[in-house]
Amino acid sequence: MFNSLRPGGGERSGAHLNVLADEELMQLVYRGNAAAFEVVYDRHADAAYSLAMRMCGQRSLAEDVVQEAFLSLWRSGARYDRNRGSVRKWTLGIVHNRAIDALRRRAVRDRRVVVDETIEERVPARERTELEFARRDEAREIREALQQLPREQSHVIELAYFGGMTHTEIASMLGTPIGTVKGRMRLGLEKMRAALGEPGEVVG
Amino acid sequence: MSGGQHSERGDDVAAYVLGALTEDEARDFASHLRECAACREDVAALQHVADSLPSAVPQRSAPKELRGRVLATVASEAELRNAGRRPEAGSRARAPRERWQWRFATAGLALALVAAVAVIAFSGGQSRRVIQAHVSAPGASASLRVVGTRGQLQVEGMPQTPAGRVYELWVQRGRHVHATDALFNVTSAGRASVGVPVSLAGVRAVMVTAEPRGGSPEPTSAPVIVATLG
Repeated sequence: MFNSLRPGGGERSGAHLNVLADEELMQLVYRGNAAAFEVVYDRHADAAYSLAMRMCGQRSLAEDVVQEAFLSLWRSGARYDRNRGSVRKWTLGIVHNRAIDALRRRAVRDRRVVVDETIEERVPARERTELEFARRDEAREIREALQQLPREQSHVIELAYFGGMTHTEIASMLGTPIGTVKGRMRLGLEKMRAALGEPGEVVG
Repeated sequence: MSGGQHSERGDDVAAYVLGALTEDEARDFASHLRECAACREDVAALQHVADSLPSAVPQRSAPKELRGRVLATVASEAELRNAGRRPEAGSRARAPRERWQWRFATAGLALALVAAVAVIAFSGGQSRRVIQAHVSAPGASASLRVVGTRGQLQVEGMPQTPAGRVYELWVQRGRHVHATDALFNVTSAGRASVGVPVSLAGVRAVMVTAEPRGGSPEPTSAPVIVATLG
């Protein structure tokens, strides 16, 4: 199927690679194809960096996190399993884990943990493809689902997911019992799940 | 104890998918998941909600410099991983010698321009020096210890060679590159210590490439380590 692409070479095949789905590109990445990796990077780096910036609040740390995440994707592409979701979600999952590690390593707890609604969205000017529209719809739905939660529920979800805090740390910061914190997380996620309906993933 | 009843663990599901358990707790919960189908179902149901949270953040453009750094690292690792894989027959095929020179030139550009540091001392009439080598693999380092005309190459942090390949040591005299009998692999920590099996008299550089198992009579890929004796 990929006979036309030399393993690992293919820098001159960049245009052809652009038409491949992420899952197909990952097979080439696994075989050491740097050009395929480049396409995967360009498709998901903005989303990865956005998540890392939201979690780390600091450009240098966010860049380190994204770099580590993509290099781990490059070095262990074999571990991608399409049953676990899209390449994008898998990549963002790696970024999330790396950012949590970085935040937990950091001695000074100067985390940005509140969604800054005033941040201007700097979406790169690119073609407004169908995929982009679908992603923006999905993003809007998720933001709305999060905003519609009682503040106490969205707060613990944000502190945990974006702030990288453990349930114990959240409980002690809020002066709330651990059981209550976990309960709010569960209720919040279940409400979001009901609002979002069944998983219908935007695949790119 | 990794078990526990499902009813006791129900509230851990949300904390688990949000990454809010400590490492130990997460490991413990993961082993509970292997035994508890009900928790597995709960995790599956809530995981996709947690996975969709990144869409809620303000979107930014990743810095161009970051792209440059990541792709440069990947390009240099790809060079190593694919070292020796011959281009398919076709218009681009080159004679081995020509291909070698061509690849050497590109690798020379890719190698980080780290100034070679030579420490020279004299002991019992024999010169001793340590030459820092240029290494294309990120995070790796190599040095050549020279005593008189003998040399010992020490490498740290080198990636493993791809399956079926081995590192081969070469010496350059004048414009010619000569094979040595030195073939080696690195430890899981990326270390190796390799004696140069020939005299360094008249040698301009010591190099390493990744070659098919058994070694090659002439390099088939770009060098990943170059120590210049000057």
